[in-house]
Order: sequence, then C-alpha cells, then structure tokens
Amino acid sequence: MWGNTGRIIDIDLTTGAVDIFSPPESYYRKYIGGSGLAAKLFWERGDFSADPLSPEALLIFTLGPFAGLRLSGASRGCAAGCSPLTGHWGDSSCGGYFAPELRYAGYDGIMIKGKSDRPTLITIFDEEIQLKSAKEYWGKDILETTASLRKEYGRDSRMLAIGPAGENLVRYASILNEGHHAFGRAGFGAVMGSKNLKAIVVRGTRRELMLRDAYSFNNLRRELNKKIKEALPSTVLHENGTAANLEGGVHTGDVPVRNFQSNFWEEMAEALTGSTLTEKYLTNHGQCAFCGVACKRVVEIKEGSFAVPKGPGPEYETIVGFGSLLGSMDLAATCKAGRLCNEFGMDTITAGCTIAWATEAFKKGALTLDDTEGMSLEWGDMHTVIDSLLPMIAYRRGNLGRLLADGSVAASLILGKGSEKYVVHSKGLEVPMHDPRGGGHGLALAYAISHRGACHVAYPMLFMEMGACYYPEIDFEYELEPMTEEYKAETGCIAVALGSIENSACYCQFADREISVPEWVGLFNTVAGYNWDVDDMMRAGRRVFYLHRLLNHRYGLSASDDCVSERLLQPAVDGAPEGIEIRFTGMKDKFYQLMGLDPDKGIPSKQVLVEHDMAEEFGKLESTLKS
Amino acid sequence: MEYWKDETEPIKAFLELFRRAQDDPELAQGLRKVNQLIWFDYTEDGSNCSFHVDSRKDPMVIAQGKPSDEPDLIMSLSADDAHRSWSNKLNPVMAITRRKIRVKGSATGLLKLVPKLKKVAIIYNQVLKDMGWEDKILN
Repeated sequence: MWGNTGRIIDIDLTTGAVDIFSPPESYYRKYIGGSGLAAKLFWERGDFSADPLSPEALLIFTLGPFAGLRLSGASRGCAAGCSPLTGHWGDSSCGGYFAPELRYAGYDGIMIKGKSDRPTLITIFDEEIQLKSAKEYWGKDILETTASLRKEYGRDSRMLAIGPAGENLVRYASILNEGHHAFGRAGFGAVMGSKNLKAIVVRGTRRELMLRDAYSFNNLRRELNKKIKEALPSTVLHENGTAANLEGGVHTGDVPVRNFQSNFWEEMAEALTGSTLTEKYLTNHGQCAFCGVACKRVVEIKEGSFAVPKGPGPEYETIVGFGSLLGSMDLAATCKAGRLCNEFGMDTITAGCTIAWATEAFKKGALTLDDTEGMSLEWGDMHTVIDSLLPMIAYRRGNLGRLLADGSVAASLILGKGSEKYVVHSKGLEVPMHDPRGGGHGLALAYAISHRGACHVAYPMLFMEMGACYYPEIDFEYELEPMTEEYKAETGCIAVALGSIENSACYCQFADREISVPEWVGLFNTVAGYNWDVDDMMRAGRRVFYLHRLLNHRYGLSASDDCVSERLLQPAVDGAPEGIEIRFTGMKDKFYQLMGLDPDKGIPSKQVLVEHDMAEEFGKLESTLKS
Repeated sequence: MEYWKDETEPIKAFLELFRRAQDDPELAQGLRKVNQLIWFDYTEDGSNCSFHVDSRKDPMVIAQGKPSDEPDLIMSLSADDAHRSWSNKLNPVMAITRRKIRVKGSATGLLKLVPKLKKVAIIYNQVLKDMGWEDKILN
C-alpha cells in the first residue's frame, strides 16, 4: 500500500484489548481516507443503536493519504462517530501535529470502543501501544494536561486531550491537539470523556513514507508549497489570520449579530477584524505541521479584566461567536473566552451560539431569573459569559449550566415557551459564523445538506460563492452572485464532491483553494497510486457524500431534516441583505434531482449507488432495513 | 481595449477618481488607513498606463506612472478590468482567482477598501460624467 499504511489501531477500553486491523484496500480507493474512510469503517462495524455516550459507541480517528508529507495543508486528521450533540453521524477535522505523528508511528487511524473503569491514557510509540492510568490528569484542564504530558513523554510526542467539559459530558466538548488545534465540532470530547479516556499520546519514528511515485510527488510538492505560500489569500491569512476579512464580511452581511437577529454592525467591524488582533495582541504566528501559510495566532493580553497569558489566539469563528454574536465588540474578551474554551475543551461555535440563544431567550422572557438563578443575561455582558457561564457549562454547575451543556437545540426543547424559534441550527448543529443571507444563499443549501449539520467547511460553498474557486476541468466556471439561488444547486453538486474529497484527504480548506483539479489527481496518484483520472476522483467524492447520506438514514434522518432554522430563511432586517429572501426550497429540490436523491428519504437511488460502485452498501442497507 | 481610446484615457479618469476620493471623509480615512505605496499597473495596455498612490504621505501622493520607491503592493490588471473594478462591476476575489488581477505584496490594507467600492463607484461614475464619458458608465 502506498501513502497509507493499511493499519488501524483497534482498542476496546472495556477489556483493554489492543489489536491492529487492516481494512481492505478497496476502502481507501473508494473512500479516500479521513471522513470517507471513517464513514466506511463505521458503516461496516458501528452500532447504530448505541447511545453516543455509551460504552458501545465507536469513536474513530482517521488520517488522509497525505498525512506526514511535507506539504502545506496536509497535516489534518478526522474524528468521527455518532455525535452526542446531534444524535447522528458526525465528523470533525483538526490540524496541528497529531496526524503526521500517527502516520510516522505506522497507522492510518484509531478505532476506540468500550469504557475504561478508570481514567485512561493511550500511548502509541510505534508498535508499542499501551493503556495507562490517567488519574493524575483527570480534572485538569487541557493546557495543563498537555504541558504535563509533554513533560512526561517528551517534546517530540504529540497528543490529543480533553478537558473538564469532556469529562463532564458537555455535548459539544472538543478534543485539542497540543492545546491549540481543535476537533471542535460535534462533541467528540464528550465521547472520549464517556469512555474515561483523557488523552492519546503518539510518537513515531518511521518518517520515510512509502509513496507510489516519490520523484513526481516531490516535484509536485515543491510547486504546490511555493504556490500555496505565495498566493494572495495565504499572505493575508498569515498576516491577519482567519479573521482577516471580517470587516469585509460585515459589509456583505455575512457576520451575525446578536444571535443572527442583525446582519450589520459597522462599529464592530474594525474592532474585531484580524488586522486589529494583529496590531493589538499578536505575539507570534502559529502553524500546523509543514504549513507555509501559518495562519494561527499566538496572543497575549497583558492587562485589563480580560488579560490572557501568551498562548493560542482566537480564530474567526471564536472572535465572532464571542463577539458580535453576543452583542460585544470587545476583542480582548473574545481572546479570553477562546482561551477558556481551550482550557475547558469546548467548541467555541456551539458555546457562543448556545449562550446567544440563552441571552435572546432571557431578553424575550422565555428564560427567567428563576431559570438563571438570579443571573441577568445581557447582550455584550462578557464578564457574565467569561466569569460565570463558561465555567458553569464546563462543569455542568447549577440548573443553567446543566441546561446549556446540552447545546441550544436540546435546551430550547426543555425550556419551550417559544424559545425554539431562537435556535439557529441545522440537524442539531449550531450554525457557524457565516449567515447565508449575507454570505451567500448557496451556503443555506450547504448547511442543510451537510451530514453533520450546519457546517461551513463540509463543502467549499462559501469559497465558491465569493469567487475564490475556478475549476474549468470540472465545469465550474460560474460567476456566482452570492445573494441569489442561481446555479447554486449545480454548484452544490460540485461542492459536495470537492468537500468530501478535501475532508477525506484531510486537507486544509485554505491551502487547498490553491490546488487545481489536475493537481489533486496528481497528488492522489503519485502518493497513493490510485491511478485516477478527474472523473474517478470526483466519483470518489460523491461516493463519500452518498455514504454519509446512508449513515444518517440509518440514524433515522430523512429529506425533511435537510433544512435550516426558520430565522435564516427570513429576510434580513438590515445591512446589505436587507429584505432579500433565500429561495431555499427551489435550490434544495433541484439539488436533490441533480444528485439523484429520493425526495422523501433523502438517500440516493439504487441506480445512483450502483453507478458509484456502491452495490454492496445498497445491499447492506436493504437487508438492515428489512431486518 | 474595450472602453478606452488610448492609454491616456483610463489614467486620466483614475487619477481624478483618487483626487476626488480624498474629498470624501470616509474614503480619505480609508485610504489613509491603507498606509501603503500602491502601484496600479495597467502596462499590459501601454507602457505609460499606470499610476501610483502613496497613502503613507500627508498629503497623499497620487501620480501617473510607476513610483520611484519600491511599492508595498502592486496590482496588475488590464485598464478595462480596472474600469469594471472602479465601477464595482468586477468581483475582486473572482478576478484574483482567475488571474485577471495579479497582486504582489501585502493586500491587508486593500481589504479594508473593498467594502467601500460601492461608494467609490458613485464617485467614479460622476468623474466619467464630468469628463464627458457618460457612454463609459457601466449599468
């Protein structure tokens, strides 16, 4: 096998058994790696009836074929399984340093089931895989844990860890690599917590990877690294991070304000934008392994009530989630809130959205002082968010902490009183910080059809609508107008394939914008020897998308779940998108038709599955449904 | 060139646009924040078809041709695409992706100006009108 190693660690934490599983080679060729490979592994081995926080739940980490290669953008990994937040299939992507190290240890992934009877740590040092006591780390926050593990196992070891939020089963708990890079979405930190698994430490020595055509790959790699580093978006990202264009987003109406109630807040734009963060608080640039872009922020705030020591700084999603979404334009507060979420191990998107929901519910009387135990929730009151709400959620303290620890959708169902109208989500996952009313109407479609729920990185629709993609080889030459539905269904068909390829290759969404379609094919062929042409590659992308549909069908989802909250379909009340309605149904119907999806079940027809070499999957689906 | 008779026409219009933009407090402040020496390079349409703006200086320098100092940012495109751009009829992200605009240097400052393109277009259309080039206004 080329690129991949063909070996996946299989651990049962209940029995302590550790095994190595070698998936058939067809799994890789058909499902690429990462998101696709995890989906296939779960499809074959997962227990669909298992509660995601039960011992029977299967948690999967997978790599793409390029992990470990000295290629900008290729160092990401995937975590997947049933999401405790949404109750259906989900996956999450994380950059940093864990994925290359796991590959150097000789593996393509880790499957974990069962539950340890005590806090546990998995160590992977090449062939030596051990389960150890994590008693001394349990209860510690992620940054402390990471520092302690680094001291214990050496600076050349890489680690994943959860914090108090994961231990306390907060349903949007994250997993962090090196205390900086997050498997943020869908709550897999809680899955680790439910298994008493505090951390995974890996160190590998096999840095010479087997490639199908190393000479051609290295030539391509050199070209791509240069192209990616020198590209205009890369220089902008390097200088000002992922929030570099926040100011522009405010003016198009993309940046949500006060729980998506407004699409424009001019004074906030400059206060929160990436260049302001650079000027005021940036101390260093951070990066993922081998990346020439280095878009990560390292910040320090020396004084004031939101002072933070030097460490990982906030990305765009965190800045908006703890900024304008909560009615605040205090940049220091976003750094502090981001830092706390890193320490506790919580997804900043769902945390910000859940607090925004609670604030709106409080302002409108659905959530009362009785519910909050006397605490007022006000827009822009970041002291309450930072000093009270985030710790209450992470430790599930008090009625309010317990309510908010399950996310905004579950909380609204418990609270009722019309508060369901204030939740902004798709399939139970809170919407990230791009409002499709201003960001682009196709994004509403992308949120709705994404397997894990509202997600801006499942498919590159956001980039396609803003004009950052041009792929003539696959007939993507549209000059899209973001605030219409024109060509969005057609774009969606290309986006789901491309996004599935990117997330299965575990590639960074920023770096991969610079890679052309023929170069993508070249990477797969020179590294993994797939011997694909463009059509083969796009078919593999669609295959992954279809498998995600089948997984969610097994979880009981249907076409009616492919939707977004009503709020996003109401015309915006201000800003550039004021008064413009998203014609969602037409886009979705056309997308369904073009992708061959059943209008009720939301799954591909038998014919489509057979055309995509998925007859086996269809057979399994049919027999399962019969039984 | 689709919109211009010769290489002098676009530069005349663009220089006037920048001069008038300085009279608008919001645009003037925006330009000042850019704080860069920018060379707008349209030399693919003629060797004299370019101008530069130096917003590091007070008053700002707006002049024809390539600057004598090393520019912080060079934006190379055709004079026709520049016309579309100042008319707010060219998606800058799309134009960069499709290599219609080639950018060299730090574009951070320029990002701050993108939201103001709508306002720039209003002034630009007025410039064209005042120059007797109403036929060049893009609707």
